[in-house]
Amino acid sequence: MREDTPDDSLTRAPIPRRTIALTGADGFLGRNLVGLLEDDDRVGRIVALDVEHPSTAGRKTRFYKVDLTQPAVDARLAEILHAEGVDTLLHMAFLASPTHHGAWAHELESVGTMHVLTACRERPVRKFVLWSQTLLYGASPSNPNFLPESHPLEAATQSRFLRDKVEAEEAVGRFARQLPSTLVTTLRLAPILGPTVNNYVTRYLGRRLVPTLLGFDPLVQFLHEVDALAAFKLAVVRDVPGTYNIVGDGVLPLSTVIRLAGRAALPVPHPLAPGLARALWAAQLSEAPPPFVEYLRWLCVADGSLAARELGFRPAFSTREAVLDYASAQHLRDARLLRPLPPAVPQSAP
Amino acid sequence: MTRRVLGDDPFASPEPETPAEGAARKPRARRSTNPPPAKTAPKSPKPSLPPPAKTAADTAAAPDTAAAPGPDVAGAVRMLEDALERVLAARDTPEAREALGRLSSKLTPGAGALAATQDPQRGGELARDTGDFDVARELFNTSYYLRQWGRVAMRDRFEEVDDFGYDARYEARWRPLFDFLYDRWWRVDVEGIENVPSTGPVALVANHSGALPWDGVMLAAALRKEHPAKRQVRWLAEDFIFHFPFLGAYSNRLGAVRACQENAERLLRSGACVGVFPEGVKGLAKLYAERYRLQRFGRGGHIKLALRTGTPLVPVTIVGAEEASPNVLPSGFLARLLGVPYVPLTPTFPWLGPLGLLPAPSKWTIHFGEPLVLDEPPSAADDEVLVGRLNERLRSTIQGTLDRCVAKRRSIWRG
Repeated sequence: MREDTPDDSLTRAPIPRRTIALTGADGFLGRNLVGLLEDDDRVGRIVALDVEHPSTAGRKTRFYKVDLTQPAVDARLAEILHAEGVDTLLHMAFLASPTHHGAWAHELESVGTMHVLTACRERPVRKFVLWSQTLLYGASPSNPNFLPESHPLEAATQSRFLRDKVEAEEAVGRFARQLPSTLVTTLRLAPILGPTVNNYVTRYLGRRLVPTLLGFDPLVQFLHEVDALAAFKLAVVRDVPGTYNIVGDGVLPLSTVIRLAGRAALPVPHPLAPGLARALWAAQLSEAPPPFVEYLRWLCVADGSLAARELGFRPAFSTREAVLDYASAQHLRDARLLRPLPPAVPQSAP
Repeated sequence: MTRRVLGDDPFASPEPETPAEGAARKPRARRSTNPPPAKTAPKSPKPSLPPPAKTAADTAAAPDTAAAPGPDVAGAVRMLEDALERVLAARDTPEAREALGRLSSKLTPGAGALAATQDPQRGGELARDTGDFDVARELFNTSYYLRQWGRVAMRDRFEEVDDFGYDARYEARWRPLFDFLYDRWWRVDVEGIENVPSTGPVALVANHSGALPWDGVMLAAALRKEHPAKRQVRWLAEDFIFHFPFLGAYSNRLGAVRACQENAERLLRSGACVGVFPEGVKGLAKLYAERYRLQRFGRGGHIKLALRTGTPLVPVTIVGAEEASPNVLPSGFLARLLGVPYVPLTPTFPWLGPLGLLPAPSKWTIHFGEPLVLDEPPSAADDEVLVGRLNERLRSTIQGTLDRCVAKRRSIWRG
């Protein structure tokens, strides 16, 4: 397990043990990060904030039941931040998949972020890390093949699911300008794929017939779940304020991804697609609302070179390896050798 | 004997696998509940991410999480090994072979079909053993066709493409057609190919012509066939082709890149040979009467790019493409109706149907001029006056070569 020699660890200066707080600690990222941080001796205490107790919590973790959709949650959060002496706050209370409960999602993501930031203004933390997504750039025919971090977030007009997240990121940007003493790191993650993660992308590729747009084959980009966690760990360990695209190496045409996943594409002519997507979404038969059809048509691929330079993040899995790793687990699920992924249910319905 | 159905649980029937069933389920089920960080530990290639330092005290303090699965896994592995040994010992019996084939076909799509092709007698045995009903059931099972599809679906593509979506295997499938057009149909002559440097970034600035843009494909074929370094050309394609179904996806896989400053700069910084057609759609849409008259050279984006990246510009003139598929009728009204920049109206195209897309066998000449190295600092890219002047100089160079080549030509068909 250990890479550094005993001598190395002896000469190393003692590092003060930090307290790390996570919102959304029972989400996929939160749960696994709690497990990772439990093993890290630089972390003294983990403060898990969610409505459910994360199953990975160990002896270092202290769980607080916090519902970000409640009106007075900011005072309670500030109280917790103060009582625990929180050094770094990871804000990850976002939905990984679109939901039909749009109003509740808005309360959780947009308003919930406001509450978290209010608490951080009342009782400042040293570092604030935000989970964001490269999807927020929006898929558009005028996108360059690799979107830099400076590109505007244009997805806000397309979908409510994405608009809430854009609002959250903008609020965090304002917070970073107003409180320069707090290090704010925003990680924009590419869609996550891997053997254990369950989100709308894995369910989309898990279909026997995967709907695509006839004649359109955009290049897509994925991030392996292990790399996603590694990026957050890096952001916790290193002090690098700023916004970073966290993406896997390489791109693949969507059709190749579907073939590598062992699926067959079901091409739909693009003039029919919005109506069909609306009908399927209304019937709760699809993974994502109609605006996501744009991502099957146009490019939305981000440039991860800044994260490599500044954050030192190098993905262990390329896009292709992430797809293959996901596919090997999915094949086992298909043959009922692994427990199938549960369908999409919001963790707490309104 | 138990009934065997190919679509069922692979571990259901024969004896050799029965002990493996429990063994196989356990570690896999464990994997699904385990957090993925367990996977990072053996890989851990990142020096930046120090692995969780586990001291003896740590493991002692949390024995229920770390130590408990240990003997379970070892036992499972041992059981799997035993099962495998038994299978290997009995692999010559048809039952075992069939069971193995079914197992692998379940786990990897197409592998079962592969096993079937390797063993021609298997099909016969299968029918005898399982009965017609099961064969029919197999054929009506969708996963059978998905497996077959998984086998053939990747035949025309690589599992990896480059950053801009170029797929070498896909291009190789089209290469015979391009070679035929290059060698036999248009009998392309190339002049001055030595003006293209063998290494480093270079932008080939060419005139655009013909209702169907074959000139880009032939420019790439010329570099591939005639240049000593066999350089690959990446064309910067107009936005509009990416709005069409099929056209954008296929040209992207052949190496076209959407024309914008960010893409071109990234390509040139990686040392690529970029093909630029500054006239854009205006060059394609112009009528036959205006043949070999260069249109406006964009807004000088290619000059700014060359200034910023210090790239030499090679002026390229392509003669013959105008006659291959000439635009004979103005298409303004029809184009507005269809919402496209122009509609190719050649002497043959809409009138003869798809057959009309066949280009005329004119004689082509591709001339590469002296490279134009801009001795200006990168900041000069913001000087609009300078950019305009350089752009005009490049345009007149290409127009001059075009006029000379067209005047020298005695016949459209024979050169």
